[in-house]
Amino acid sequence: MKVVIAGAGEVGTHLARMLSRENHDIILLDDDPEKLSQISRDVDLLTINGSAHSFVDLKQTGLNKADLFIAVTPYEERNVLACTMASYLGVGRTIARINNSEYLQERYREKLKNLGIHELIYPESLAAKEIVSSVKLTGTRQMIEFSGGKLVLLAIKIRSNAPIVNHTLEELHSRIHDVIAVAIKREKDTIIPQGKDYIRNNDIVFFVTNRSAQKMVFELAGKELYEIKNIMFLGGSRIAQKTIEKMGDQYRIKVIEIDKERCERLADKFENVLVINGDGRDVDLLKDEGLEKMDAFIATTGSSETNMLSCHLAKMYGIKRTVAEVENFAFMGIAEGMDIGTMINKKLIAASYIYRFTLNAEISTVKCLTASDAEVFEFVAKPGARITQKPIKDLDFPEEAKIGGIVRDNQGYVADGKTQILEGDKVVVFTLPSGIKKLEKFFK
Amino acid sequence: MNVKIIARVLGLLLVVEGLSMLVAMLVALLYQGPDVTSFLVSSLICIIPGLVIAFLTSKAPKNISKREGFVIVSLVWLVFSLFGSIPYVISGSIPDYTNAFFETMSGFTTTGSSILENIEELPHGILFWRSLTQWLGGMGIIVLSLSFMPIFGIGGMQLFAAEVPGPTPDKISPKIHQTARMLWLIYILFTTLETLLLWAGGMSLFDSVNHSLTTMATGGFGTKQDSIAHWDSAYIQYVIIFFMILAGTNFSLSYLVLKGKVSRLYKDEEFKYYIFFIVGFTIIIFSGLLITSTLGVEQAFRDSLFQVVSIITTTGFATADYVLWAPILTILIFALFFFGGSAGSTGGGIKIMRIVVLLKNSYYELRRIVHPNAVIPVRFNQHSVDSKTVNNVLAFFMFYMLVFFLSSIIFMLFEPDMATAMGAVATSLGNIGPGIGDVGPSQTFLSIHPLGKWFLSFLMMLGRLELFTVLVLFSPSFWKH
Repeated sequence: MKVVIAGAGEVGTHLARMLSRENHDIILLDDDPEKLSQISRDVDLLTINGSAHSFVDLKQTGLNKADLFIAVTPYEERNVLACTMASYLGVGRTIARINNSEYLQERYREKLKNLGIHELIYPESLAAKEIVSSVKLTGTRQMIEFSGGKLVLLAIKIRSNAPIVNHTLEELHSRIHDVIAVAIKREKDTIIPQGKDYIRNNDIVFFVTNRSAQKMVFELAGKELYEIKNIMFLGGSRIAQKTIEKMGDQYRIKVIEIDKERCERLADKFENVLVINGDGRDVDLLKDEGLEKMDAFIATTGSSETNMLSCHLAKMYGIKRTVAEVENFAFMGIAEGMDIGTMINKKLIAASYIYRFTLNAEISTVKCLTASDAEVFEFVAKPGARITQKPIKDLDFPEEAKIGGIVRDNQGYVADGKTQILEGDKVVVFTLPSGIKKLEKFFK
Repeated sequence: MNVKIIARVLGLLLVVEGLSMLVAMLVALLYQGPDVTSFLVSSLICIIPGLVIAFLTSKAPKNISKREGFVIVSLVWLVFSLFGSIPYVISGSIPDYTNAFFETMSGFTTTGSSILENIEELPHGILFWRSLTQWLGGMGIIVLSLSFMPIFGIGGMQLFAAEVPGPTPDKISPKIHQTARMLWLIYILFTTLETLLLWAGGMSLFDSVNHSLTTMATGGFGTKQDSIAHWDSAYIQYVIIFFMILAGTNFSLSYLVLKGKVSRLYKDEEFKYYIFFIVGFTIIIFSGLLITSTLGVEQAFRDSLFQVVSIITTTGFATADYVLWAPILTILIFALFFFGGSAGSTGGGIKIMRIVVLLKNSYYELRRIVHPNAVIPVRFNQHSVDSKTVNNVLAFFMFYMLVFFLSSIIFMLFEPDMATAMGAVATSLGNIGPGIGDVGPSQTFLSIHPLGKWFLSFLMMLGRLELFTVLVLFSPSFWKH
């Protein structure tokens, strides 16, 4: 597939890197030659120095033969305009990054389509969604719902108090039928486990299960479910605002923000939120504001370092649920070992959202996992697809991937070797990046 | 530094070399020459170890780092020449290994300097192998392999950049292997076209193929002892002139023109200067020849144009011996040794783009002195060249001159005549072919001391890989972790 990406910012370069690795033809357009030369040194793509909203420069990218145009410059209006122009020049499909939820409303959808803007991506909003779901369900590192919650993927950190620690997956399966462990993240590696593999202390285990078995999974993983009431936000960034909007009224929320003007805007926007003007790195201030009494601590300042360190600190003060926005990829590995709870990376979220448009098979969900470099897909089994021809264990399914479960007739089922997939099923698959191409063949 | 991945790439490329020897074997079979078995044996000597190494290292990682890229490219050229000389030795055409190595390195680097004094007596297979080495080396061994083997993963770009001539390699397609494939397709197209035109002009098919292979590579090997002068046909010489100019043009530019964007030709600054230099030097030398010799007008024009194009594109064919011209004309030709073809062409030398950037930068320096606060960037192709590239070009030029002078001094230990030494060094470094002095177009390199031959072979490789790729291997910081 030929993909033109406008904007070599962090989302753009991450996408370019990911897609180029999967043999797509990538053309990257940006007006900063320095950025372009940097990425072209280690990614196999074509770079064009030019503006995203110039007809001449857009034409240079060979848009008329491209399948997908992705506008991810930092400016919303430029992205929208670029998509319109790209559509005019004959590209197959366009995606614009936006910063304004107004565009997402259903009634404007058609209007935007007429303008040639086919898909919208709002990374902050997607990130906020993830934060909300992680606050709603405590005890997990990441939770992904499929088909409206019929199946869930839970990433759970196993500690020494868990009853299943040092037991094999087979033993786990004999205790609860409706659960499957699709992957284990152990130190730096992500393992696709077999039945005989053990669960160890400090593993992050990715379980696929359904609603009814979810509780038992938590019990066996040694997680107590607790209710969250008091939440402290560090930084009143756009992600924080979006999150607060989505959370509703049932929480008591405090926001610590260093910028006076922004504080005023926040206070104006959210009546029920207590906004405190101060530096979040000031421990005394945090303690004064009752850090120890908080149930959750969410750090989304512009600085990844501050977010990581303050979450670490919050953990030391006994806060059970912490979420840190970590935008710096290099830090994600370190953060993993640092006990800072859940991590959010809006670039990763945005990239995996866009990613599904580049795959041939029909896909209803793609999520990338912040705790691992792997991805989870929800494929739709098409009539006649290879996946429907044999039970899972006879399929010769790639080693890098594992089927977690299926959703059939609005019911979620956890998969095992004997499961036979039928056409129309939605199949939840966990895969390492190297397995993605192989998976496509099974679902086409 | 991962030794396994380096070994793997070398192993696979050795197989490629073995396969290309089989092509030469087919030619030998066709002419029922005595050299068939020598090609079979040499190709097995390449293929078997190559396959074994590739098999043993099949688990090597796929990504090639920058450092590994430099090591791989340098080693590939060395290994190719070491193994490529085997057919000459086994067939007895060039029994001495030093001579055979010199001839092979001169082939792969498209230099075209030869030690052969009995070219016409050699079997057809060997002659074809000689031309084929140039053709493969012209567009690049790595570029060829990239075009049909996706073995290099992400590291392909590193290798590509290290092998393709010019300060900044340009891609014509998003994927490196597609770019490589396009370049090779154009290369094959031009070679075929030239073969047909030469054949139509009365050259035998075998000679047409060989000369087309070496013209498009800007190599300069021929099948006759007296090079192109053997054919006293204006048509053949003009055809070769045209294709030499084409081979010295950026292949990405040719690609765009073939795709219908003819206007790129007038807009491309490097191409304009390239033509300007050819025209300028031809006019001067043509006038000089008219005054100092008894040649007719057409003959003088054709001789001057042919030699100018042959030298500036670093091909090295000859239709006249410029060493016998008036000394001022010889020195003009010698000045051309330092120009070279366009970036992204098969030509060697310093390259027109670098020359233009250097000249402009020096000229602007005068303006900068008058206006100390003025911002005066070097503009090339309507864009300002960033200072990193200018620095790179300056460093390249400095190294080029340094290597030239130091090597000339070292070479004078073997060859006391100054003109010969400087000519041999400049021609090897620029991948041209003939030098001046005792190594002019009508002489060979046979009489050079064996150590001198190894030294020149090294210079050829240095020049073909544009200094940096090889020189970084000698810098301590490269090996420090």
